[in-house]
Amino acid sequence: MAGGEGGFAARPFSLSSQEIKLSRSENPAFSEVTVGLGAETAKRHQKDRVYRGDTVFRGLTAGCALTIPLLMAAIFIALLSYSLPTLREFGLHFFLSEEWNPVSQQFGAASSIFGTLVSTIIAMVIAIPLSLAIALLLVELAPPGLSRVVGTLIELLAAIPSIIYGMWGMFVFAPFMSSHIQPLVKRWLGFLPLFQGPPMGLGLLTAGIILSFMVLPFICAITRDVFQMVPAIIKESAYGMGATTWEVTYKVTIPYGLVGIIGAFFLGLGRALGETMAVTFVIGNSHKISASLFAPGNSIASCLANEFAEATESLYISSLVTLGLVLFVITYLVQVVCQLMLKRMYRAWSVGL
Amino acid sequence: MMTAIKIKAESVLGSEPADSAQVLRNLGLASKISVRQLNFFYGEHQALFDNQLDIAAHQVTAIIGPSGCGKSTHIRVYNRIYELYRDQRASGEVLLDGENILRSDYDVMELRRRVGMIFQKPTPFPMSIYDNVAYGLRMHYKISKSETADRVEEALKRAALWDEIKDHLRRPGTSLSGGQQQRLCIARTIVVEPEVLLMDEPCSAIDPIATAKIEELIDELKKQYTIVIVTHNMQQAARVSDFTAFFFQGRIVEFGPTRQIFTNPRKKQTESYLTGRFG
Amino acid sequence: MNRLQPRRPTGRKITNLLVAIWSVSSALLGIIILFWITQEVLWRGIRAIDLDFLTHLPTPPGVSGGGMVNALAGTAILTLLASVVAVPLGLWGGIFLAEFGQESRVADNCRFAANVLMGLPSIIVGVFAYALLVVPLKNFSGYAGALALAIIMLPVITRTTEDMLRLVPNTLREAALALGLPRWRVTLAIVFRGAKAGLLTGVLLAVARVSGETAPLLFTALNSPFWPRSLSEPMPNLTVTIFDYAMSPYPDWQSKAWGASLLITVGILILTLTTRWLLRERKR
Repeated sequence: MAGGEGGFAARPFSLSSQEIKLSRSENPAFSEVTVGLGAETAKRHQKDRVYRGDTVFRGLTAGCALTIPLLMAAIFIALLSYSLPTLREFGLHFFLSEEWNPVSQQFGAASSIFGTLVSTIIAMVIAIPLSLAIALLLVELAPPGLSRVVGTLIELLAAIPSIIYGMWGMFVFAPFMSSHIQPLVKRWLGFLPLFQGPPMGLGLLTAGIILSFMVLPFICAITRDVFQMVPAIIKESAYGMGATTWEVTYKVTIPYGLVGIIGAFFLGLGRALGETMAVTFVIGNSHKISASLFAPGNSIASCLANEFAEATESLYISSLVTLGLVLFVITYLVQVVCQLMLKRMYRAWSVGL
Repeated sequence: MMTAIKIKAESVLGSEPADSAQVLRNLGLASKISVRQLNFFYGEHQALFDNQLDIAAHQVTAIIGPSGCGKSTHIRVYNRIYELYRDQRASGEVLLDGENILRSDYDVMELRRRVGMIFQKPTPFPMSIYDNVAYGLRMHYKISKSETADRVEEALKRAALWDEIKDHLRRPGTSLSGGQQQRLCIARTIVVEPEVLLMDEPCSAIDPIATAKIEELIDELKKQYTIVIVTHNMQQAARVSDFTAFFFQGRIVEFGPTRQIFTNPRKKQTESYLTGRFG
Repeated sequence: MNRLQPRRPTGRKITNLLVAIWSVSSALLGIIILFWITQEVLWRGIRAIDLDFLTHLPTPPGVSGGGMVNALAGTAILTLLASVVAVPLGLWGGIFLAEFGQESRVADNCRFAANVLMGLPSIIVGVFAYALLVVPLKNFSGYAGALALAIIMLPVITRTTEDMLRLVPNTLREAALALGLPRWRVTLAIVFRGAKAGLLTGVLLAVARVSGETAPLLFTALNSPFWPRSLSEPMPNLTVTIFDYAMSPYPDWQSKAWGASLLITVGILILTLTTRWLLRERKR
């Protein structure tokens, strides 16, 4: 064993192809016999056995890890194959038509795509400034003790399950919107087409606001990391020129961590696009496109949640899966951008200043 | 000026080494900054003890000492940059032109415009070369576009960087070499017309040739500014400074004209340090 | 050059102050929302929970009493089954990424896919499980629900396992390898033991993540008012029950939905805080 150690320790993590071949060609039944063939050979065999165990181990673990990309591919293929009937039936028209009628078997995704985009935009418009401000508070303004407490509380927002946001949204927040917020908005901004119609509480605006609370902790957590990773000496030299905290943040910290912050936005965006239960509870579930944010609408995810279990005709099911495919493709692209951005950031910073 | 100091240096030998005010008075120099009874704490840990130091106007004062002796900590009080960290605390007085800058009602932003700082590593901001320099100007002054351009050019010339980069002003500051970046930081600091320049080991992260350039620059800049430079490189202190303060374990052991400190130190600790017996 | 005219810093200071105020109020808003939600869930939920709620089967609308013990059991079964599938896969996959995946392209792609999969909407996973199991078996089933949950757990466990194994100092690996132990033994014996608390954290995190999931169960496990009898039948579970009851017109059912919401929220908050505490212990 002692002799084998040297060779083993020298390249413990990689096997040359030759060694793998060697161990494969070896018949395990011989290894008992070969002990008698001299120290040199015995050592050789012991080494092979060690390597063989490691090869199997490596292969097994790699197999487990590979299930993840395989799953991704399988999801895509399954969604695509179930979508084919719809795509064949309606073609591109599926994405442009607002009509969604299970009775007459007419399906169009326009209202769902519209609702998904609008509620997401509202969520991001609210969540981005809020989470940047909170990250600023946590990193630059609050004393460490307070920062830890506030940070934990904000993170807990992410732990609350979607369906609880939905319950609270429908029974508590939507009535609050209709009695307090919406009349106020109507009084000041009622002349805009965006804020027409009765303030019912349920609708795209309420869905967007609740979504913003849900994605906020995700954006905030990464932005906080980004702010913390900006080297102290860079911040010091900006402060050293007489800059205020805000000037340092705006001119130095944010540009310095821009890649990571954009990654954070995309992460939040991906969450908002696919968020299901909370939206389903409050969006109002109507397949109509309306200019008003007070009006009920639907999103891809809410449409799936509401209708999938009841769908029986194959074209209906196929149309729903096609909606799912659209959502998959959008969120996949968003996630890829997000991961590339974050990866670039961490790599740049591991190199150092 | 140097010869004057050399001659007068003989005459101050008799005074108490740490009494920097006396040293400057004997040489007929005004003090720009006077530090009195400065104590400094990192949380519970005390890092500076009763520092007394006078910085002569339009001279270069070097601060030397073994690492961890409080050199950087000391000058980080001059622009109150330590205040960024909640557990750091200073007591005593630091008088800038006779006014105590440690008073809580002293305007920190104005203080930092008057007392600029250069750091151990070059720290270009994530913006273009031009904007790096113009940043402080726009922040502190009402100034027209053309005036800004003139002043940026002037500062880059004084920082001996203009000729190298005048055609690439729009490139990011980070695209420059280490030595160029450090000169950019100097340009960025002097453009707002500070009175004092603090340099915290400005050459520790750059190569010897770039270091030589910066040392040349320091000699040029002292005509206009009062300069305090922290360095662990004794040769550098000997080359660039007029006065030297030797720090040891948070105390100022010895202060005097650089020549005297290096040729005729009066304290045992200074001598051991200079001859390389510790540190 | 002419003298420069200094800007008065008042404006800059005011901007700075406004930003500080904006920061504080943003954080306050976040905290208010958190407390508003938990307070409503607690207040409305506690009134619905009694012994019957925890021990009885649901009653038809209009008939008072009844509980959702079947849904509690169903959620536990689904989560357990999903864990049985996802935990070993995730642990082994995590070992690969941490121990062999430093310079490997395969590992890079797996890591990337795991990150992306974590960000995919859970309802998509539900659609996939539907296509894979519900359609061929022509039946909503516990299997389909557990599969969907397992797919959601897998990347979480894989990535946390990797992170936790990376925290085990390399010196420990090298010391063991220098004894002449094969790599797989080193990993299993020493590294796993060293990272035990961390791995538990990963599993808890994943359980916390899926026990509140609703979307992937809506059309896989569906729901049922009976005891869970077979995995190949629709499986009662808490979250879909909340959804069904909340959308119903009966005040009694809506109140029961709040009761179930309280159970879920408390359970998940406890799990989350436990993992946070474990993580902090680890960092020490």
